[in-house]
Amino acid sequence: MGSTGRQQKKKNSKFIAVLLILGILLILSIIFSMKSGYTHLTFHDLLRILLGGGSDKENLVLFTFRLPRIIIAMLVGAGLALSGCIIQGIARNALADPGLLGINAGAGLMVVLFVLLFPTKTALSVFTLPFLALIGAGLAAVLIYLLAYKNLEGLSPLRLILTGVGMQVGISAAMIVLVILLDESQFNFVTVWQAGRIWGASWKFVIALLPWLLILVPYVFFKARVLDVLGVGEEVAWGLGVSVERERRILLAAAVALAASCVAVSGNISFVGLIAPHLARRLVGPGHQILLPCCALTGALLVSISDILARTLVQPSEIPTGIVVAVVGAPYFLYLLAKSGR
Amino acid sequence: MNSITTKNLAIAYDESIVVEALDMKIPYGKITAIIGPNGCGKSSVLKAVGRILRFKTGAVYLNEEDITSLATKEIAKKMAILPQNPTAPHGVTVGELVSYGRFPYQRGFSKLALNDRKIIDWSLEVTKLSKLEHRFVDTLSGGQRQRVWIAMALAQQTDLILLDEPTTYLDLSHQLEVLELLRDLNKKQGYTIVMVLHDLNLAARFADYMIAIRDGSLICHGTPDEVMVPHALKEVFQIDAQIIKEPRTGRPVCVTYDLVR
Repeated sequence: MGSTGRQQKKKNSKFIAVLLILGILLILSIIFSMKSGYTHLTFHDLLRILLGGGSDKENLVLFTFRLPRIIIAMLVGAGLALSGCIIQGIARNALADPGLLGINAGAGLMVVLFVLLFPTKTALSVFTLPFLALIGAGLAAVLIYLLAYKNLEGLSPLRLILTGVGMQVGISAAMIVLVILLDESQFNFVTVWQAGRIWGASWKFVIALLPWLLILVPYVFFKARVLDVLGVGEEVAWGLGVSVERERRILLAAAVALAASCVAVSGNISFVGLIAPHLARRLVGPGHQILLPCCALTGALLVSISDILARTLVQPSEIPTGIVVAVVGAPYFLYLLAKSGR
Repeated sequence: MNSITTKNLAIAYDESIVVEALDMKIPYGKITAIIGPNGCGKSSVLKAVGRILRFKTGAVYLNEEDITSLATKEIAKKMAILPQNPTAPHGVTVGELVSYGRFPYQRGFSKLALNDRKIIDWSLEVTKLSKLEHRFVDTLSGGQRQRVWIAMALAQQTDLILLDEPTTYLDLSHQLEVLELLRDLNKKQGYTIVMVLHDLNLAARFADYMIAIRDGSLICHGTPDEVMVPHALKEVFQIDAQIIKEPRTGRPVCVTYDLVR
């Protein structure tokens, strides 16, 4: 009992340290992100503007352009990372993520359709976007679920992933067909969305996204223990009293809603849902009560840093954030594949 | 008193029927071994009883209560079930895995309480795993790993444990180690144990009660002395067996056999 308690305490303090360090890194990335961009700001400038002493132009740059974008980047990173963590948990496969399963693509298809039909970014449209993305992602997810579900055998994680990959390819093909129908500005929008450029960088989008995360994130944390137990496999989980099918559906729905609402404002940023849970697992291990918050922070940090790079690498132009994430993510993904093959 | 009763149980995968009209009784406080040839449906029966597999028709009673009328979390407080070859996720420690056994008693954000800790420590002690508590499960040997799963089942605080082939992939001494642990749990802690076993002689050595199944039907049941008789084994396994009383344990043992031609 004594040794158990001491070990547990040691472990807990390590977890707290990891979360603290991630938190500090995230704050540093925010400060750095506020400074950098087309108009470079010094620490001194930043402090002055934040305390209310900025010129109109400076206020515009910081409060209207940069801050909402920074916040969106963090929220999207956290949301996609959590979504990936849940999907990896229910699929019992470390290579699953919302992008791979075609959930992002489903959301994207709806977003693209919507932008084609209603080209103006009115306030109303901003708030309907996450819902539309959810419908698209939800339809994709239900379809994947039904195709991967077999009566009496239930849901096989492997079938889930294979069907998801197929779905993703199918939807991407549908997007290409749509692209043929577009005029030039719409075409640009679609390519930019696909590449994962944070296009909804204004306070309106922050407000449209925030409520989703405020509901979904605590709910997912609440389910941490269920995710742990699902990790030992379907049959053991049943034996421990988890209604496996029901919990899986609920968690999948939460993951889909998280991914859809994020992708609606950020474009198709893939790999976050894949990498962040991995990094987090290396830092704190597989227990979801600590893994989930760590994963959210890692995801936020990842997209936040990628966004700084996206805005500063090729000034005055900018690279879509999703591309930067992918440049880091693709090699990491290959590394994981190579490692898991051994 | 019976721990488990099945009435007219039928199990089917898609259209193929594996078990039909099975009436089976599992006595309380005993070690019961379910035996039968490959594909006879013995694992399916265990899974259906453990509500892992949905059965087609019929009923399963757990302590005289219809299992379909109980919430799955409530069942988990009365009955633990270990499937064949469960795998632990990478990076889970022995202590963590055993703590999952407390799941039926936890809700939402709740952390492990002092009482949960005590039960986990007790489970580790009974299975002689206290020293391995902080080791990763995937670094353990097969025999140790099987004990970890049993410890997890113990942490569920049930009085009934179902096990599907608990000795698969284990060598002779580790097979005995696991089965002796189960016998201790039965004798000292009063657990009712039900296991599907492949090895007839091990089943006869450790079980108080044996159930023989072929083609999804109950062929015979009773004490090892009643089931381990040539005509029963002929009917169940299609073998011509020679049975003697084993001198060390006094249990029946099949010394040699031929296929029935």
